[in-house]
Amino acid sequence: SSTRGHMSSEIHPLGVRPSGNALTSLREDVERRVRTKEQGLGALAALGDTLLLRVLESCAPRTLAALAQTSKAMRAFATHADVWKAAVLETFGGRFRYDASWFGTFATAAERERRRDGDDVHASKRAKAEPAMARPRTSVSAEIYSDALHQRYMCASMELEAEWLEVSTVPEETSGELSVRDFVAKYEAPNVPVVIRGAAKDWRATQTWTRESLVEKFGDVDFVVGGYDMKLDDFFTLDACEDDVPLYLFDPNFGEKVPELVSDYDVPEYFAKDDLFSLMGADRPHYRWLIVGAARSGSSFHKDPNATSAWNAVITGRKKWVMFPPHVNPPGVHPSEDGAHVAAPLSLVEWFSNFYQYAYDGDVKPLECICEPGDILFVPSGWWHMALNLEECVAITQNFVSKANLRKVIAVLDTKCEALLSGLDKSRRGSLGELFNEALKSSPDDEVQSILTEYQSKKAAKAKPSALGDAFAAGASFSFSFV
Amino acid sequence: MANTITLRSSDDETFEVEEEVAFLSETIRSIIEDTENDAAVPLPNVSAKILSKVIEFSKFQVKAKKENESEAKIKEFNNEFVKVDQATLFEIILAANYLNMKGLLDLTCMTVANMMKGKTPEEIRKTFNIKNDFTAEEEEEVRKENQWAFD
Repeated sequence: SSTRGHMSSEIHPLGVRPSGNALTSLREDVERRVRTKEQGLGALAALGDTLLLRVLESCAPRTLAALAQTSKAMRAFATHADVWKAAVLETFGGRFRYDASWFGTFATAAERERRRDGDDVHASKRAKAEPAMARPRTSVSAEIYSDALHQRYMCASMELEAEWLEVSTVPEETSGELSVRDFVAKYEAPNVPVVIRGAAKDWRATQTWTRESLVEKFGDVDFVVGGYDMKLDDFFTLDACEDDVPLYLFDPNFGEKVPELVSDYDVPEYFAKDDLFSLMGADRPHYRWLIVGAARSGSSFHKDPNATSAWNAVITGRKKWVMFPPHVNPPGVHPSEDGAHVAAPLSLVEWFSNFYQYAYDGDVKPLECICEPGDILFVPSGWWHMALNLEECVAITQNFVSKANLRKVIAVLDTKCEALLSGLDKSRRGSLGELFNEALKSSPDDEVQSILTEYQSKKAAKAKPSALGDAFAAGASFSFSFV
Repeated sequence: MANTITLRSSDDETFEVEEEVAFLSETIRSIIEDTENDAAVPLPNVSAKILSKVIEFSKFQVKAKKENESEAKIKEFNNEFVKVDQATLFEIILAANYLNMKGLLDLTCMTVANMMKGKTPEEIRKTFNIKNDFTAEEEEEVRKENQWAFD
């Protein structure tokens, strides 16, 4: 097991144990713990742990605070990290500073809000000047068995196994030794990944984006964290947070908010040569993200939207990648029939613990690598990929459409399937395909024109002779290798 | 004539239900869509007593939607529906979870949350027969830890 250095009773802050512990404990200890839980939950024990947590998720914070005082067992449920993390985000969005636990974080944020006089400037200055309030630490434990409570703390504290990090099979090139022509021939056209070592090492970003300098210059700027606006300085208080699924800074508007950051890097020639969404001007969907995350944060398995390809550059930190080709579902990952929804473990460490061992069972093996500062990974259109930050990591990623994946992009935009598309207001997605096709017509490149014309004439030829002109039917007659 | 489905409870009672009513349960919907024959759907986790409550709920929801019933009327029904004893309420929660019925699960979980709302710890203990196993010192520590919520 990968909980080296942690005894089960140390993992959960109140001493809750996984149910498996009962197999190896003294009988009287087991009986005592079972009694503590039964008597401490009363009639609510009938619900089972998962449903009890579900009920608590409907409770207001004040109700939870009252429940926490009823018994030791109930306190373990009423102070559960996931319940309070949800409450913090729902109540405060990104307007909080982490304080010892999610329960403590809520309490501190609630108290701060009460003290606020309504003058925002003074309040935020005062908040910054105060150190994170010390939460009263109690010694009251809850020795009960509960997998539902224990699981996420175990994932949060789990060490990464060395064998998860050993395999390096993504093809490698060295920046400066790979021509654009070779990149297209060897990787982009055949739709194969490659990690280009050192492609970003000369960027000003790679030299200057230390945490200290970012906080000094942009500490007060709102970035998008887990979908919420959060000040960069507040985001870094999450250092102290041990989460199974850490909050992730993933901001598609950083370029518009802080143009200075964009001037600190250059899109490599391999990817800059044609970025066809740029023909859409201001109408283009989201295409570039600033990514900042703690160790254990990252993205679980997904395919990029709009059938775009992507490049991902590590500025600081180290990022572990596992990738599967478009037609191979990673173990533990279940896409819906149209590919629009994916069921998979949210915790990356959970995926590695439970599913990595099966990754090499199939005929098609995954490709893996670790990117160091200055490295850029090319993620081809339609490939499944998962990224795990091995330590705090700052990265830049951009999605793009080039001639190599243009046909696929036109086709997927044509399906008008909302869930497959992304990056624009929902109200505009329906016409993203139309806008894009219009924009393509203004490209001076003959090849671009001919790809578009070829697609449209094939579609017209196969269209049903019905008054409705079913776009889906026409689209479905092409085989999408990426779905 | 609408399709009917036969459901069999854990205590072997059968219920004939219209397909659209039964399909409020995602579990039942999956079972029906995956099997070819017309056999009764066994529900080993749901007793007849609880299953008839679930069916009562589902019938009303389907009827209310068809007849464009007002929010107020639906709320009135829901409020009456959950006026059952605690044990029955918990059994309905378990059934709604097993049958994968989000609307019923949300309603019943919120009902339990409302039973806790506004009560002191001692009142909550009485409501759910929870034993206070804190020592006097521990109780005071835990009270202080939660004081912020009541200021």
